[in-house]
Order: sequence, then structure tokens, then C-alpha cells
Amino acid sequence: MFGMRTIALRKLSTLSTRYLPFADVASAEVPLSRLLRLSLFQVTVGMALVLLVGTLNRVMIVELSVPASLVAGMLALPLLFAPLRMLIGFKSDTHVSALGLRRTPYIWKGTLYQFGGFAIMPFALLVLSGYGEAIDAPRWIGLSSAALAFLLVGAGVHMVQTVGLALATDLVPEGDQPKVVGLMYVMLLLGMVVSALIYGALLENYSPGRLIQVIQATAVLTVALNLTALWKQEARDRARAQQMLETPKVTFAAACSSLMANAGTKRLLIVIGLGTFGFGMADVLLEPYGGQVLGLSVASTTKLTALLAAGTLAGFGLASRRLGAGGDPVTLGRIGAAIGIPGFAAIILASMGGGTALFLAGTLLTGFGAGLFGHATLTASIRNAPRNQIGLALGAWGAVQATCAGIGIALAGVVRDVLAGYGNGPAGLQIQTPYNMVFGIEILFLGMAVLAAVPLRMLLSNRADPTLSDAQHNTVEVT
Amino acid sequence: MSDDPDKVWPTGLNLREAEEVHSYLIDGTRVFGVIALLAHILVAISTPWLG
Repeated sequence: MFGMRTIALRKLSTLSTRYLPFADVASAEVPLSRLLRLSLFQVTVGMALVLLVGTLNRVMIVELSVPASLVAGMLALPLLFAPLRMLIGFKSDTHVSALGLRRTPYIWKGTLYQFGGFAIMPFALLVLSGYGEAIDAPRWIGLSSAALAFLLVGAGVHMVQTVGLALATDLVPEGDQPKVVGLMYVMLLLGMVVSALIYGALLENYSPGRLIQVIQATAVLTVALNLTALWKQEARDRARAQQMLETPKVTFAAACSSLMANAGTKRLLIVIGLGTFGFGMADVLLEPYGGQVLGLSVASTTKLTALLAAGTLAGFGLASRRLGAGGDPVTLGRIGAAIGIPGFAAIILASMGGGTALFLAGTLLTGFGAGLFGHATLTASIRNAPRNQIGLALGAWGAVQATCAGIGIALAGVVRDVLAGYGNGPAGLQIQTPYNMVFGIEILFLGMAVLAAVPLRMLLSNRADPTLSDAQHNTVEVT
Repeated sequence: MSDDPDKVWPTGLNLREAEEVHSYLIDGTRVFGVIALLAHILVAISTPWLG
């Protein structure tokens, strides 16, 4: 009897750790298949972004006839959370856990928020639009529940992306980081492109039931993909758990000022902000520009997005190769921003008699520059971060990047809507003039990014050996 | 097998670790519970059942 019990228990104890989502040992070599699996969290981020910015934007205005200004306000809500990425990253850096985990709990929480937001979103939207009996319900219920849904999804996306990137950085040695950054960007792009196609096809024939199905399927898929990505990635570590208990508490403000005290960090963030803003406005404006100004058909303007994405992919690829071979990320980022300038110039010239071929070449070039710039600046942020502040550094990157990209997209949307209001343009103002002004502003911002990046290489390379300065930093923190 | 009184068998985790795993379960249940409640309320507002 007792023998049976012992045998059963021993069997269970060998089985059970296989069913816990933590790795038992931290392996030095992380195989590509595991990194690919980890990068699935970027697919869910891409899905959420497309659903919020693209699909629901249209569905709410066209099918649910919610006022456009209200839709814009709702969709801007997640942007408010972007600066909180720094806090999330910091908390994951200094998390105290008996299991020695730092990133896993936050990715799990972020996944919960993403799921929760998507789970209530379709019903919140239906109540907001006054579907069925909801027409008699008080207005604040629809408003507050829709706002809550968007806030939850936004908070979840910020958490998952920030902490997920930090986990990926933890897992791989310094030399492989450019490859991982490239992989993460490619998966984000892939998630966005594929889910945009799928959402478009699924919501072709809109019905309230279909909306519920699509959004809730997204919720389930998000949890499934994030759990697959997270499974057995971070090692259970009793030594680190002990260390977590003994490390003195650092306040958020102190950690921030210690990060900003590193030479070049602030300037790098400025460059990232300027460049992201410059590239960010293009996405939304290229299609209406091609249609209204150059007279391209709807089908061929859709191919523009594919062309832009192809250029971006080529940029990621080149950046991965060059940085993996020991290239300097700051120089490469500056080249990326600089490539965007002739790209936008070609797009402007296309309306001044340059023709469609010039426009397509400009689009491809802009995508290429954006890919190069995005990859190189994220790699620079990671390399510049002290090993114990990776979460915070990636939080700062994400806060600047998401805020500037969001403002860029919102501004571009405003410009586009104002133009759509003009119809064929007011007297004395040609249709392409406002577009070209925006593209001119983008060139200006990219130029500023290039200039701001000039002294950056000197500042960052002053920390000649990154591993050495990390070690110094660690000793300072511990003592 | 049971020489370490701090270990929770059969998982091999110690007490603090087991409690942490448990806390994730509890938190998850609470969040899912609140979400389900909210979703039901919203559905009941737009398409009421039971009356």
C-alpha cells in the first residue's frame, strides 16, 4: 500500500515539472526554434494594433455609425499608456519572485489584460452603438465600457511588448541580439499584414454576430499564442530568487536618472523620437496620395502597402546582417533616416511631373529606410542598456517610439480627413499641396534625426567595452 | 523524498514557490471572473434574456 503511494508520488514528481511553464535550467545556447516561438508575442501585438487602428476604426464609423471624433478619442486612449512602459520595464527589472522569474509574470498579466479587453470589446461596441435594447440604456455605460476595453487592450499590448523584448534580450548573448531584434520586427510586420488581410476578408459582410466572433477569436488566439511564446522560456532560478530578496530597493526615479546618466541615452531617445515621427506619418498618407494626386486605382494603392512592407523587410534583413557582422547601429540608423529623405523627395517630385514610377521608387526607398532605422535604433537601445536595466531601457524605447508613431499616425489622419473634406481642393490650392507639405515636414524631421545622431556615435563609443561598463555598473548597484 | 520539510510534494517546489504559483492562479481566476461578469452585463443590456 505504502509502496504504491511512493511509486505514484515519484511518478508524479517526475511528470509535474514538465507541465509547469518555466524552464528548469538556463541554457547557454538558445535554439532558433525557441526564439521563433518567443517571437509569437509580437504577432499578437500586431493583431491588436491592426484591429484597433485599422479594422475597428472603419467598423465603428461605417457600420456602427459612432461619431468619428468619438472613435478617434477611443483609439487614442491606449496611447496614454505608452509612457507607462518605462514603469512596466522597471518593475520587471526589479521584480521579486520566489521562483526567480522577472519577465514571465508581466507577460502573463499583459496577456490577461489583452484577453480581457478583447472579451468585452464587441459587446461594449454594440452597446455604444445602441444595438438592440441598448438604445434605451444610459449613454455612460457604452462609453465607459468601450473606453475600458480599449484601455485594457492597450495596456496589455504595452506590457507584453516591453517585457517580451526584455525577455528576448535576456535570453541571447550580445552577439546574437541584432538577429533577435530583426526576428521580432519581422514577426510584428508579419502579424500586422496577415491579420489585416484576414480581418478584411472576415468583416467583408458585416453583421453584429460576425463582429463578436472576430474579436473574441482574436482574444482566444492572443492567449494561445502568448502562452505558446512564453512556455518554458524563462528559467526557474533559486539563486536569483535569493538575490532578488537581498538586492536593496531602488526607486523608479533613481533608476531613471541612473539610466539617463549614461552618455548618449537621452540623445538616442531624441533621435528615435524624431525619426519614428518622420517615418510614422507616411503609412496613412501614401494610399490617399496615390489615389487622389496620381490617380491610381484602389487595387494598385493597396499594392503600395505591400511595396512599403517589402522595403521595410529588406531594411530589417540588411540591418540584421550588418549589425550581426559587427556594424555600428548608430551609423546604420543614421543611414536609414538619411535614406528616407530622398525617398520622400521622390514622392513629392512624383506629383510635380515625376510620374508613378518615381512614386513607387520613393515608397520602396522610404520603407527600406524605415526598416533600417527601426532595427538599428532598437539594437542601439539594447546595446546601450546596462544588463540589469534592460527592461527600463526597452520601456524608454517603447514609450518614445509608441508615442511618436501614434502622434504621427494621428496627425496624418487629421491631414487626410481635412483633405477629404475639401473634395477637389479649394480654389487656388492644388490637391497635392497639403500632402507635399506633410511629406516636407517628414523630410525636415528625418533631417533633424540625422543631425542629432551625428555626435551620438562619439558619446556611445566612449563606453568602449560594453561588457566592462556593465560589470562596473553592476558592482556600483550592488555595493 | 520527504527529507526537506519545506518541499511541497509532488512538485518539488518549496513552500514560497508553490504559494507564488498559486497566487498566479488566484489572480487569473479573479480577473477572468470580473471580465466574464462585465461581458454578461453588457450582453444583457443589448440583448436581454430571462424577461
